[in-house]
Amino acid sequence: MKSKLVFVFALLLTAAQSFAQNPAYLKTMEGLVSKIQTTQFGTPLQPLANQMERIASAEKGEWLPNYWVAFCYLRDSYIETDAAKKDMILDKADEYFNKAEALSQNNDELEVLKANLANGRLVVSPQDRWQTYGAKVAAAIGNAKKINAENPRISLLEGEGMFYTPEAFGGGKPKAKVFFEKALEKYAKFTPKSSIHPSWGKEITDWYISQCN
Amino acid sequence: MKQLLLIILLVTAGFSVALGQANIKGKITDRKGEVLPGANIQIEGTYDGASADEKGEFAFTTDSKGEVVFKITMIGYNPSVKKATLGTGDVRLDFVLEESINALNAVVITAGTFEASDEKKMVMLKPMDIVTTAGGAADIASVMQFLPGANRVGETEGLFVRGGSANETKTVIDGMIVQNPFFSSTPDVPQRGRFTPFMFKGTAFSTGGYSAQYGQALSSVLLLQTQDKISEESNLNLNANLAGLSASYTHKGWINGSLSYTNLSPFLSLLKTNIDFDKVPEAFGASVTINENPTKNSSFKLYGTYTDNQSALRLNSYDEFNSKYLFSMNNRNIFTNASYQVNFDEGKWIFQSGMSYSKNNDRIRMDQTNADRHDERTQGRAVLTRLFGAGKNNSIVFGSEFHAIRVGNIYGGYDVSLKDNYSAVFTESEFYVSPKLAARVGLRGEYTSVIDEFNVAPRLSLAYKVGKYAQFSLAAGRFYQTPDKNYLYLNRNLDYEIADHVILNYQLIKNDRTFRVEAFNKNYRNLITEKTDFFDPNPYRFPTGKTDNSGEGYAKGFDVFFRDKKSVKNADLWVTYSFLDTERKFQNYPSRVTPSFASKHNFSVVSKYFLEKLNTSVGLTYSLTSGRRIYDYGSDLKTYELTKPYENLSFATSYFRAIKNHFVVFYLAVDNVLGRKNVFGYRYSPDGKQRTAVIPPAYRTFFFGVSWSIGKLDRIPKEATLNFD
Repeated sequence: MKSKLVFVFALLLTAAQSFAQNPAYLKTMEGLVSKIQTTQFGTPLQPLANQMERIASAEKGEWLPNYWVAFCYLRDSYIETDAAKKDMILDKADEYFNKAEALSQNNDELEVLKANLANGRLVVSPQDRWQTYGAKVAAAIGNAKKINAENPRISLLEGEGMFYTPEAFGGGKPKAKVFFEKALEKYAKFTPKSSIHPSWGKEITDWYISQCN
Repeated sequence: MKQLLLIILLVTAGFSVALGQANIKGKITDRKGEVLPGANIQIEGTYDGASADEKGEFAFTTDSKGEVVFKITMIGYNPSVKKATLGTGDVRLDFVLEESINALNAVVITAGTFEASDEKKMVMLKPMDIVTTAGGAADIASVMQFLPGANRVGETEGLFVRGGSANETKTVIDGMIVQNPFFSSTPDVPQRGRFTPFMFKGTAFSTGGYSAQYGQALSSVLLLQTQDKISEESNLNLNANLAGLSASYTHKGWINGSLSYTNLSPFLSLLKTNIDFDKVPEAFGASVTINENPTKNSSFKLYGTYTDNQSALRLNSYDEFNSKYLFSMNNRNIFTNASYQVNFDEGKWIFQSGMSYSKNNDRIRMDQTNADRHDERTQGRAVLTRLFGAGKNNSIVFGSEFHAIRVGNIYGGYDVSLKDNYSAVFTESEFYVSPKLAARVGLRGEYTSVIDEFNVAPRLSLAYKVGKYAQFSLAAGRFYQTPDKNYLYLNRNLDYEIADHVILNYQLIKNDRTFRVEAFNKNYRNLITEKTDFFDPNPYRFPTGKTDNSGEGYAKGFDVFFRDKKSVKNADLWVTYSFLDTERKFQNYPSRVTPSFASKHNFSVVSKYFLEKLNTSVGLTYSLTSGRRIYDYGSDLKTYELTKPYENLSFATSYFRAIKNHFVVFYLAVDNVLGRKNVFGYRYSPDGKQRTAVIPPAYRTFFFGVSWSIGKLDRIPKEATLNFD
């Protein structure tokens, strides 16, 4: 009887703990994720990354906080103009990406992020890096498709690749537009797994389409 | 009563919560007291924390009590962890972060090195630069001749660096010495390198003071790093030009096979050549490359190539003037290189190992004389690197290598050969004293069985950053080289040749503009000299005189380099000037003089421009080299003539087009556009009364071709095309 009581008590305690934690985790994350995804491109995400980093360090088993830290720094690397600083910001993004990858395998969102991170490295010095990082982008896109071909962020990224590749190299805006339109179709069907999972990209797709016309 | 109790309980509980919340305030600065806005502080295991504001200050509240751990992070700084005991009430805590050693603030050792790698921060030259340089003929060594420190020598292959002869430069692929980096030499016809620039992800050209990881080169090492596995794609590349055809197929990114057929007939038929070919150079080549990453932390590479080439030319006879003799050659060469690398313990340890085998046979007939040569080299190398310090910026390396070398030469009545077992051990540490001051200290020990001698060579490099963009670097060291095989055939009682280097370098890199100036002093000792009855300037003679280590000499000078990618959009400009003052007593020189391969002034301008709308790149290269000394047959070397200065203007252009998954490049190169009649020296008749000029194979050359790739193109950003050839 006594042991049963202890067991029930222990169960209650853990349940209470996880209940106590989950709402706080979800609530804090929800607010942050929504802020991250609605911040205009060009506004530094670093303060939000700091908050996310704290959550990531407290919630050691969750991949999503790590995902969002990496995402924030990826975005900030595009704002930075100094090549060396860009690389340092991306080093930090990679550090958190690796943590996320260790916690969640076969994850299309992580593959998409990996492709985006490789793209971030590529644009630092395109002449020297397209060969190495271009291949990494392509490999990660391939992996993402295998896991979930319906992820709209895959088509967005493919469209971006075409958009910035000159026509002489097989790219160009008309070809890019096809991908962006495909992305929009997928966004229409897409529902994120939760409010703290990635759902970004539709606005930027709309912007690209406006630039393709 | 119960209700009252409950209320009291609730109130005290609430009160205790309020009491238990601690307000934490403080400031985060670096060591110099500069505030660090944006730094992140948190109590580990909780969400509690804050970002530092514009004044570096932070404030937050926490429910945590007792012993807690504060963690402070910021990009560009080492993370800091600090324990503290929290009670109730306000707490003030200030933190000091230490700057990490990173690409932004760290100094880099640059003295004596000219990096062409795309990995390092201090990038100066990239692999693509090699193929887009006009006048460089997409040949690695030819392009290196436009860099500071190299001396232009037009009649033979090889890199002549800062007063050193061509055999003082070693070519190293993934740590392995390449026995025959160039196609076999024919008299006064410079040969191309055997390796295409596309094989390598990076090229580092050392002009002296190089690392203890390499040896057996008195002047310089050319370090080539092969490509890593970069994709899983398959593609086919076909090439056709005036000198032959080639095809290369890569299967799923891991295995590549190439075939090539070279025949200079179409090229020569368009030119007025200065060479009288009996058999136009013809070659067949095949190679296999394997590139696989067995695990995430390891990589395996294998490269094997076989080439067979033949040519025959009629050369002016040195015996009887105005008569000619037939020089014919059939060269067969095998080169294989395998390497394995693995990282463990989170990349703190790196183990690299490699094996290489090469075999080269030259069947040479000079008139009726048999002058066959053969060589064989088997080598193994293992290097263990330990990285340490925050950010793994410091390293210590332990390594060893072993070479078994077999060489032989027949020349008329001589049939000579030798075996040499060479082994070396080395250790080297590269570390930061501060982000501004870095040092590299190394020691190399070698043993060569053929002369039965040991040596120990110390190496040292320092670098100090003097501003945000500028730095000084110093390199010094001792370099040993086993005497050339041509001397060892007849005399094994020789000792190592020695060179001591001191190099001082200043570099300023800002906004895609690089300015670099380097001064050097090199002292040669123990150079091999040969006693002959009279001086014979023929560089191709076989040394049969008495030899010893009594030679010596010096080389000093400076070079200036400027590169600008900024001023004109889509353009790249390099300007190089090298000054050299050198004298040496070596080979069959009876006294210490400036050697005939050395030129005092070397100047070059390399320019490239990309015409965006036309998908075309154009390049123009100009080079000027002051006259070299000509020593007559039988000369006492006190009197000499100078060749007229060497001058060359070359042009290259390429046009490219992608259609679906096909990618086509057309290229055209014109060397010596102005048709200047350069002379490199003279060859003498035995009585010394008559001579013939050594001139380039052709005064003006045209070369064109097309490269066609089929396969998935990885995304190529717009900017990548700027330097694309």
